[in-house]
Amino acid sequence: MAKKNVHITRRDRNLKLVNIALLVVTLISILPIATTILISFKEQADITRKPPIIFPCDTPTKSFDITACRWAVEGYQRVFAPKPSETALLGFELTGNLIRIYIPNTIMYAFFTALLVMLLASFSGFAFSRYDFRGHNALLTAIYAVTGVPLLTNLLALYQMTINMRKNLPFYDDRMFLIFVYIGFFLPISVWITKGFFDAIPRELEESALIEGCSPIGALFRVTMPLATPGLISVFLLTFVNVWNEFIVAYLLINKNEFKPAMFGLYDFLSQNIINLQVLAAACIIIASPMVILFLFTRKTFFKAMVEGAVKG
Amino acid sequence: MQQRTALQSFRYRWRKSLPFWLILPTIVVILIVQVYPAIYTGWLSLQEREPGGWLYVGTKNFDRLFAAGIFPESIGHTVVFLLGYTIFTLTLGFLIALLLKQNVRLSGLYITLLFIPWIIADVIAGLVFRLLVTPDYGLFSGILQNPALIPPNGLSVLTATRPAPWFGNFPFPPSPAMIYLILAASWRALPFVTLLILAALQTVPAEVIESARIDGATGFQLTRHITVPLILPAMVVALFNLIIGGMNGVGMVFSLTGGGPGTSTYVISYLLYVIGWGQLRFGRAAALALLIAFVNWILIFSILRMTRVNESRR
Repeated sequence: MAKKNVHITRRDRNLKLVNIALLVVTLISILPIATTILISFKEQADITRKPPIIFPCDTPTKSFDITACRWAVEGYQRVFAPKPSETALLGFELTGNLIRIYIPNTIMYAFFTALLVMLLASFSGFAFSRYDFRGHNALLTAIYAVTGVPLLTNLLALYQMTINMRKNLPFYDDRMFLIFVYIGFFLPISVWITKGFFDAIPRELEESALIEGCSPIGALFRVTMPLATPGLISVFLLTFVNVWNEFIVAYLLINKNEFKPAMFGLYDFLSQNIINLQVLAAACIIIASPMVILFLFTRKTFFKAMVEGAVKG
Repeated sequence: MQQRTALQSFRYRWRKSLPFWLILPTIVVILIVQVYPAIYTGWLSLQEREPGGWLYVGTKNFDRLFAAGIFPESIGHTVVFLLGYTIFTLTLGFLIALLLKQNVRLSGLYITLLFIPWIIADVIAGLVFRLLVTPDYGLFSGILQNPALIPPNGLSVLTATRPAPWFGNFPFPPSPAMIYLILAASWRALPFVTLLILAALQTVPAEVIESARIDGATGFQLTRHITVPLILPAMVVALFNLIIGGMNGVGMVFSLTGGGPGTSTYVISYLLYVIGWGQLRFGRAAALALLIAFVNWILIFSILRMTRVNESRR
């Protein structure tokens, strides 16, 4: 009896150690984000102080006084640039480029890319999962091998293509081409992921739908796709986040200010605010927080697509 | 026997060729965005920009690339970066996954919080780390640049020059900026690696562990002789993913160090960017791009072989 108790307390102690270790690791990994939030709420005078201080909470007599902290929203103000306006709902308008142009652009690019990638990937994922045709495996391997071409390698050519098309095609639109390029970049891995999801759905369900007189396309839309919805949503989310976070493609292929996505817009802030670190920090927080919030609500879905994509491909 | 109507034969053919039509859009997009550009880059690597158009120069681009001192130097930087990045990330990822596998009460919360860095863009991650050590004004610059704490002059991470190399021209020991870049890149990749290893750990059958324990294996022996061999394939997949990501990612170098100080964080992908869009020497950039693509393909095919071997084993 006594021996059993010893065993239990030892296990308890081990779990406590694991808990503490995990807590420390988590705090360290969150630290860079916490400090960015801290910087974003500082005022200009505290940013450019020499020597720099970590908390803007010192007084002439004490080095740290929680009641004397000088917090400011100056950084956010300069990013949002609110201007009073009679017609707006809250009595002011946000005139900052980031909120007015760049983030709506990003949402548009990310949404359309993710939607089309999901659609195309589910078509070909379905075909690869359900049919055996000549060149099936070779094609699947080729689609995977394509992901091995580095982004910058393709961009060399795509960049020349945009230059030519801007000159020669009157209806050419940077935005449409950018979305097209994103689809091409994120489709191969998504095909593999969706194929994996379709493989997990039993064929019998479709077969019985076919026997009942459903067409193959109808079976795909009415039976298989609804069953694969969680998987398809995870492909959508993964692509959405990837496009949101993508920088170099847009940076090289977009040349008009009003078409820039947020990551490219952020680069503007970098060159304009060498010293105004609070503005930079605020811009980072504003751009990153929608994705973090999205992730917090849908993390299970994310993990599914991530593991599927990494192990299969 | 019933005669087939035109409609029926159309429907028959449509059903027969359905997989083709389902895959066609994907193939077309991939051909335009991935395959054609890759071929174009191959062509471009043999050309040089002239005022009138492109001029065929044969392998001159490759010769010039190899002759430039920055090329071997940035390969050195890439090797140093990849070594530090993969070893650091895999070790930490393995340890954290082992901790998470213990399933303590709050592990759900820990997993969620630990994964936030992964969702943050590389450009933003670079900026976030830059804000901490910006010369003079960064949050920790006051501590790091204090000569009393770090003799002799304090450390300014982003401007300190590289120490004298130990082995010929190989850039080792790396500059503080390179170490910091490795740290930042690992911070962002760690969640991904941890998740992969954790997923693999959870597939290790409990009976195997149990029987080894009954046979008298201690905790370390269990890890060393049972767990590690069983999750090795997942580790290798993680490793290759890290190498491919690390070799091709340019966003973080862009926002964190900009290649500097001097050329001490010029990794190969950043060099490609600089040659292509900084100096507008697209032919030479294409030559470099082909070399990088070649290395990537070797890695990709080895992953593919390895995962296939796993599947057939299952």
